[in-house]
Amino acid sequence: MRISLDWLKDYVKIDRDLSALISKLDMIGLLVEDWEERDSDVILEIETYANRPDTLGHLGIAREIAAVLGLNLKEQNWPLIEIEQETSDLIDVQIWDENLCARYCGIIVKNLKVGPSPDWLKKRIEAMGLNPINNVVDVTNYVLFSTAQPIHAFDLDKIAGNKIIVRKAGESKTLRSLEDKNIALSPEMLVIADEEKPVALAGVIGGEESAVFEKTQNIFIESAYFDPVSVRKTSKLTGIFTDASYRFERGADISFPPQGALMAASLLTQMGGEATKEIVDVFPKPRKNKTVILRHKRIFELIGLEIDEKFTYRTLSRLGFQVEIQQEGTWQVLVPHFRIDVEREADLIEEITRFYGYDKIPATFPPLRELEPSLDKNRKRVNKLRQLLFSLGFDEVLNFSFSDPEEEASFKTKRKPIEIRNPVSSKASILRTTLITGLLENILWNRNRGAEGIHIFEVGNIYFWEKESSREQARIALATTGLIGSTQWQKKSKETDFFHMKGTLESLMSDLRYEPFSFQEKDHAFFEKGHSLALLFKEEIVGYFGLLKKNLLDSYSLDDAVWAAELNLSMLFGKKPQSFQHVPVDRFPSITRDVSFIVNRSITYQEIKEVIERLSIPHLKTFDLYDRFSGASIPEDKVSLSLRFVYRNPQKTLLAEEVDSLQQKIINVLKKEFNFQLREGGTEVPSKVRSKKK
Amino acid sequence: MKDLKAKIAELKKKFNSVSARVKDEKSLQEVRNTYLSRKRGELNLLFEEMNALKPEKKSQAGQMINSLKSYIQERLEKLKKEIAVKERPVRKIDLTLPGEKGYCGAPHPVVLFQQEIEEIFLSMGFSIEEGPEVETDYYNFEALNFPPHHPARDDWDTLYITDDLLLRTHTSPVQIRAMEKRKPPIRIIVPGRVYRRETSDPTHLPMFYQVEGLVVDEGITFANLKGTLERFIKTLFYEKIKIRFRPSFFPFTEPSAEVDIECIVCGGEDEKCRICGGSGWKEILGSGMVDPQVLKNVNIDPEKYSGFAFGLGVDRTAMFAYQIPDMRYFYENDLRFIRQFALK
Ligand SMILES: [Zn+2]
Repeated sequence: MRISLDWLKDYVKIDRDLSALISKLDMIGLLVEDWEERDSDVILEIETYANRPDTLGHLGIAREIAAVLGLNLKEQNWPLIEIEQETSDLIDVQIWDENLCARYCGIIVKNLKVGPSPDWLKKRIEAMGLNPINNVVDVTNYVLFSTAQPIHAFDLDKIAGNKIIVRKAGESKTLRSLEDKNIALSPEMLVIADEEKPVALAGVIGGEESAVFEKTQNIFIESAYFDPVSVRKTSKLTGIFTDASYRFERGADISFPPQGALMAASLLTQMGGEATKEIVDVFPKPRKNKTVILRHKRIFELIGLEIDEKFTYRTLSRLGFQVEIQQEGTWQVLVPHFRIDVEREADLIEEITRFYGYDKIPATFPPLRELEPSLDKNRKRVNKLRQLLFSLGFDEVLNFSFSDPEEEASFKTKRKPIEIRNPVSSKASILRTTLITGLLENILWNRNRGAEGIHIFEVGNIYFWEKESSREQARIALATTGLIGSTQWQKKSKETDFFHMKGTLESLMSDLRYEPFSFQEKDHAFFEKGHSLALLFKEEIVGYFGLLKKNLLDSYSLDDAVWAAELNLSMLFGKKPQSFQHVPVDRFPSITRDVSFIVNRSITYQEIKEVIERLSIPHLKTFDLYDRFSGASIPEDKVSLSLRFVYRNPQKTLLAEEVDSLQQKIINVLKKEFNFQLREGGTEVPSKVRSKKK
Repeated sequence: MKDLKAKIAELKKKFNSVSARVKDEKSLQEVRNTYLSRKRGELNLLFEEMNALKPEKKSQAGQMINSLKSYIQERLEKLKKEIAVKERPVRKIDLTLPGEKGYCGAPHPVVLFQQEIEEIFLSMGFSIEEGPEVETDYYNFEALNFPPHHPARDDWDTLYITDDLLLRTHTSPVQIRAMEKRKPPIRIIVPGRVYRRETSDPTHLPMFYQVEGLVVDEGITFANLKGTLERFIKTLFYEKIKIRFRPSFFPFTEPSAEVDIECIVCGGEDEKCRICGGSGWKEILGSGMVDPQVLKNVNIDPEKYSGFAFGLGVDRTAMFAYQIPDMRYFYENDLRFIRQFALK
């Protein structure tokens, strides 16, 4: 709300300097967001709140300043030049819908010459950032910005049948606006009508046909109270938002309309018009002031500070509340009509505290009576997982939950997306059903900025309909493309690949003790056929990973291969990981045997692994593939594999001969099963560790 | 026999003095030959002498010679190792070559900052609670004292799914869900994503993170709210930071307060400061005493219990704390930006 310091001084004496005034305003919650000097005036931009329509005018702000400075408001005088005609003889005001219009006041100003406003008024209007129009329009705006009471002026001679009827639009379909457009009315909207047709949209805007123009002589001034919800609905439906509707929808002061009409009439008579006698005031059900009981001890109980009763009394009185002491410590407080926000004891306590000063309240810590058990185990797991991924060189990203429906469709997640009815953009009109789309955007962004290797992950929700209800599922997604690490003089970087992703997932599962887990070859809509695996834990698929399909990458203009993974964390975290247990360390030395052999390419590592495992070789602790290559020295359809076996007996030191015979057993079985050709290890060649090739 | 004993002692003495002078592989070999050679080695000579003894003395002499032999062997073995270490060639290296760099991924700054916030509240006995992002109008607005058609809703520009379902505009609905679920004392924080119908610009985003807090118990006061939030802010920023509580309005708190902290960039000295606009203050938290109507909505007796609630924007505060000029940087996910936070 723009506030002119000069204008405020019409209502209250302000002798503080500007910075002192601003800090007082800030202290009582009227935050001065900005201010500027303008001629000899100062214009403040004050933050106001949805529950305080009374501060949407200079009078309301002046009242707060008076209360905080301990001053009284100046008396206002609105003299009229009257003619010997009763208002009610010239116009018949009827309210047909008392629920939507609780009070309607009017007065007539005759023989006015419509023309430019006097300079003082122009200055006021300009201070509000508006252009002066003519004396009538400027006066209505002046009353609005002074008192927050919207005023409307009709050309009396264009009111058919000298009737003002406040009713629902009903059958009336349109109202012609000042911009010569037709405003479509719906039956429930409240309008001001004459005998024939609507002449204004109540509390929102006037119509063209009854508008004041340069030849207007006689004016009917409206000063009313309209139902906030009704005005808001009309505003929203018609898309018309005005200074008037802004105030009515927040709740105007029901006691004020006569005063508003008087102010407007008084000003117009000072500009040459003559007012009719007696304001018409249709107020079918006069309202009593609200009363609120204030128990003084509750201030201490809620705020934690004793506030002097005298201070309380003084503050409430200055703000326009009437305080009656019912009994010791219990007061009955009569709330002025302009304070629509005050209904309960807590509201009064806020008023008292606000003026006492939040800065005077001590800072204490609430006693900790009970400690709750930690609710969120998943947080710990997610953190462990993040730390692991950092150590593996993955960067963390966060993407918006929104997604482009077209993009999502090409991913075929089979989950029914949740659509946003009023999205900011059509490209962000659904909620994501996979995290991968976001990661691809990130890869594209960073590729375009020269990143050679991109290894990223995101932990977040996906969203979808499950039958009738919305579901949110926690996920983690990873993507890897390009070089891993930077090339250094004694360490070369390498290209990422399927097995980089696989290894990452393996460490992830092991680190969280989700063991034993397994992989299964499975096709998936995101991945190239034969290049994806499902990750299983406790017989359930917790996620997939693989090489992203070419057409998906194409739609992001990505040329290089990207491997991605997405796991369902909600599901995984719902399962119990292996419990942690200490395992005794080896007391006796282990013996290692390496073996290298050539097999058909068609034989998978898994097959070899299973054969070895089935043998249940005693003392065989682990075995692992440590090299695999093909090339010139090896036939086209073959591949060389090198396995390392580690033997250990927890009870005693193993003898080399024992191990040799166990090892030979394995070699014999592998030879038989896979018809392989021994390169190194076993009896044909003396065993030794072969250095890594490549 | 006595002779032999004396000889052994003398031999040992001699060996000790000779071996002390061994400096390299060559002299070591000489000593070894002198004493241990199978043909003319001193020890072999002793063994031959022993053979000439009477059988009953033989075994005792054998023991003595053997013990000298193993003494010499051990000693020579030790010398061999010492020489090996001494004689290992030391190649000169270029010490100025760069060291080998490891690489570690970086956390996203918003997650990082949110966790800093969480840690502080966890240390104050708060626990973490979560709730749905797709929320009903009731939890997001009505239970929090926003009547339908109330202009207060305009401050929370909303993305709707259906008439009744929306993307939560704040984490406050979880307050209601938590209070429905259990009895006071309640002391929780609720981190999470929230949504507004806003187009992205340097200071606005259609989605961001918030951390909500709620404390409900007997005798909770505004002073407690101040104490808790001051402690939090001082821990998050620094101990001497200036803090100001300022009256404000939220439909679900009464009294309400906004919390400003001094501008950590200009300290109010720069009239054109792009962080505080010259006011010297930066608003970082909304807070207040839980509105009695909100307590009634979840069947908590406001005469018996009271509480306070607060909320802060994680992105916005991180922006301020790290002096990031544009909020959109957080969701561009430029790795050159994110990797800086590996250092945090
Ligand atoms: Zn600043």
